[in-house]
Amino acid sequence: MWENLDPNKAVAYAREPYGSIREWKKQTGKKIVGSTLADVPEEAIHAFDMLPVTLLGTHKPLKKASSLLPDNACSLARSNLELALTYENDLFDGFVLPQVCDTTQHMCDIWRINFPDRYVESILLPRQINRESARYWVKEETQRMIDSLSNWTGKSMEEGALAESIRIFNENKVLLKKLYDIKRESPGALSNKLLFALIKLSMQVDKKEMNQTLKGIIDSIKPAKGNGYMPVILTGIACDPLEIFDLFDEIKLNIVADTLVTGTRYLQGLVDEDKSPLDAMMERHFKRGFYSPIHDDVFKNVEALKALYKKENAKAIIYIHIEFCESEEYDVPDLKAAMRKEGIPFHELVTEYQTLSLSHVRTRLQAFFESLKGGSL
Amino acid sequence: MSETMSAKDLSAKITKEYMNEAFHAHELGKIVGYTTAISPVELFVAHDVVPIYPENHAVACLTARMGTELSVATESLGYTSHLCAYARSDLGYRLTGKSKTGGIPNPDVLMACNAQCFTLTKWFQVLSRAGNVPMFVFDTPEYIRNTRAREEIVKYCVLQLKEMIKWLEEITKRKFDYDRLREVMKYSAKSSLLYKKFLDMAQYKPSPISIFDALIGMAIAVYRRGTQECVDYYQTLCDEIQAKVDQGIGVLKNEKYRLYWENLPVWFKFSDHAKLLGSYGGVILTSLYVHAWSLEFDLDKDPLETMAEQYVSRFSNSTIEDRADMALKLFEKYDMNGMIMFMNRSCKAVSFAVPSLKELLTKRTGIPALVFESDMGDPRFYSETQIRTRIEAYFETLDRLHGDRMPIRA
Repeated sequence: MWENLDPNKAVAYAREPYGSIREWKKQTGKKIVGSTLADVPEEAIHAFDMLPVTLLGTHKPLKKASSLLPDNACSLARSNLELALTYENDLFDGFVLPQVCDTTQHMCDIWRINFPDRYVESILLPRQINRESARYWVKEETQRMIDSLSNWTGKSMEEGALAESIRIFNENKVLLKKLYDIKRESPGALSNKLLFALIKLSMQVDKKEMNQTLKGIIDSIKPAKGNGYMPVILTGIACDPLEIFDLFDEIKLNIVADTLVTGTRYLQGLVDEDKSPLDAMMERHFKRGFYSPIHDDVFKNVEALKALYKKENAKAIIYIHIEFCESEEYDVPDLKAAMRKEGIPFHELVTEYQTLSLSHVRTRLQAFFESLKGGSL
Repeated sequence: MSETMSAKDLSAKITKEYMNEAFHAHELGKIVGYTTAISPVELFVAHDVVPIYPENHAVACLTARMGTELSVATESLGYTSHLCAYARSDLGYRLTGKSKTGGIPNPDVLMACNAQCFTLTKWFQVLSRAGNVPMFVFDTPEYIRNTRAREEIVKYCVLQLKEMIKWLEEITKRKFDYDRLREVMKYSAKSSLLYKKFLDMAQYKPSPISIFDALIGMAIAVYRRGTQECVDYYQTLCDEIQAKVDQGIGVLKNEKYRLYWENLPVWFKFSDHAKLLGSYGGVILTSLYVHAWSLEFDLDKDPLETMAEQYVSRFSNSTIEDRADMALKLFEKYDMNGMIMFMNRSCKAVSFAVPSLKELLTKRTGIPALVFESDMGDPRFYSETQIRTRIEAYFETLDRLHGDRMPIRA
């Protein structure tokens, strides 16, 4: 289904993956397990011979979610709820839902109440990662999730299955990183949109198949540095819709690094294949970058972004905000002030799932780009 | 001393002494620790850390209708108007220096417990960055309905409490005194039971207290938990309310509707709501919110274990299904026949559960609910006419449904 896709097809699937997932389910007879962001140990779901799918909202209008979550709730949360309740209701056999903030905590409850006939499990990931107890907790919760999946499916995880899943998922991340490296150096050869579409699709479909597509794309790319590209850093949690990347491509902003949960932070989830799978999955939880809802050193985000900006010789940092993400709303004023103090151009874009028009984003981005070229902000 | 003082005077005295201690903490060899209203503050008290609750200070400012002014100041820094009104009020106070009470001392340490909400962690992070203040997050995973998970959660929380003790020892360079903790726990356990007894007096008919009394009465439980004066205060308060019960004195002479309230109050409409509801014979008796401090510590257990068990299982860290069960017990116990569900824009931790909770409660009690949306502290989001009309319509519905009394269906 997702092997040897050409770039256009990959982007089309990334934009609307559920038809192909439905078809894949019909062909393979395998179960589909949906998860929301972030950090669900999806290798364990795969090791039970099921397809883990990261839910990343729908562009279709809200019908039911509005009555369950008010309009000041994170728009991704509402969009995901609508996707599962209305548009892809029968696609998913079960859900594993992580909790990192008030919204996601309530989402787990709302989901369970509204899917009484479905498998719905919460994974209670730690909301602090700066102390030893968090390590204990990640391991315990991962094991509980594995036992819960075993109980639901009625089978034990086959010996070696988890290690094999880890190998496939690691390969996927390594291939995506390779593409990122190519794009960083050759923006003319690989667009922002294609790279982030491939990451998105990788989070949603069978990775073994997807790896074939990634290998094919890597082999087919001819280096093209391109002219007039400006290196920028993209920060935030998720960037949606994919068409936003068209706007970056149009004005030749080359995203050379990012901190997105649907970007580099996902790629940071490599698992050490030389260690016991459970220990290694626990360890990787602490190797990922900043994620606003999880407490760590309170200056980590600012320092990490400054370092990234310097390392990549970027010209600006662009922050993409999901409307009503409360967590980030507490971070941004300090982040903005810190960047201003450092003289780093910082630009804020606000998006909302279900957004149909990107004209406001285009206008703001163009104006920012012009100011960058002019050397003043 | 307390035997001759009224509960109101005793509360004022305790509060004055407490704030005096907080402002002179360093001179007294103590430090100031900001914490969240639902948090294992017993560790602070046992280690000479004076707990300060920015939420409480915010409540005083919001009740005095300073919400908009302080929020606007905060928004000028780039924060949005839909963040927690407490946070907006607090950050606005820090920017402008404006306060109803003369302010609060700056923190030496910060401790956020997410059993209450996630917002406080983020708010405290802002304070931590601003003053480079050490911060500890006591992470309490949702107390889901799963026996194994619950056992694990308690173990995880006990580990964290041990980490917190180590953190405090490192900051203060003083050894933590477990004997003192046991003593503090005794006070905390006793005052919490008395606090619950006070709240449960709303069972009487007519009820001698309304939720507005409970909201005033809960303050000492929040900020003086773990002290003898807290025990004294609730003993005095219980005695006073019992005297009212003995004389048959109720909040309303003609109590017709005994109501449940979901959420925090609209602080700046506190007395207006009481008067308006009272004019229809309605009295709000209780809410899950005020019961958050009805802690039931088991002193036979290790102090850290019983603390972990109690703090992770507060309503605000429970599943929506468990919240519904908790509320239903209150409906039965207090014989309530109406419910007001407040969608509080600035408290996501409580409000995002409200639509589902309302469905569960109305289905299981057969009692219709009044739902309205506003903000607990910012009058810009309060529509007087709309809410008044809704309240009027709700009482008309209740009158039409049963005229006199509505039976409780559990």
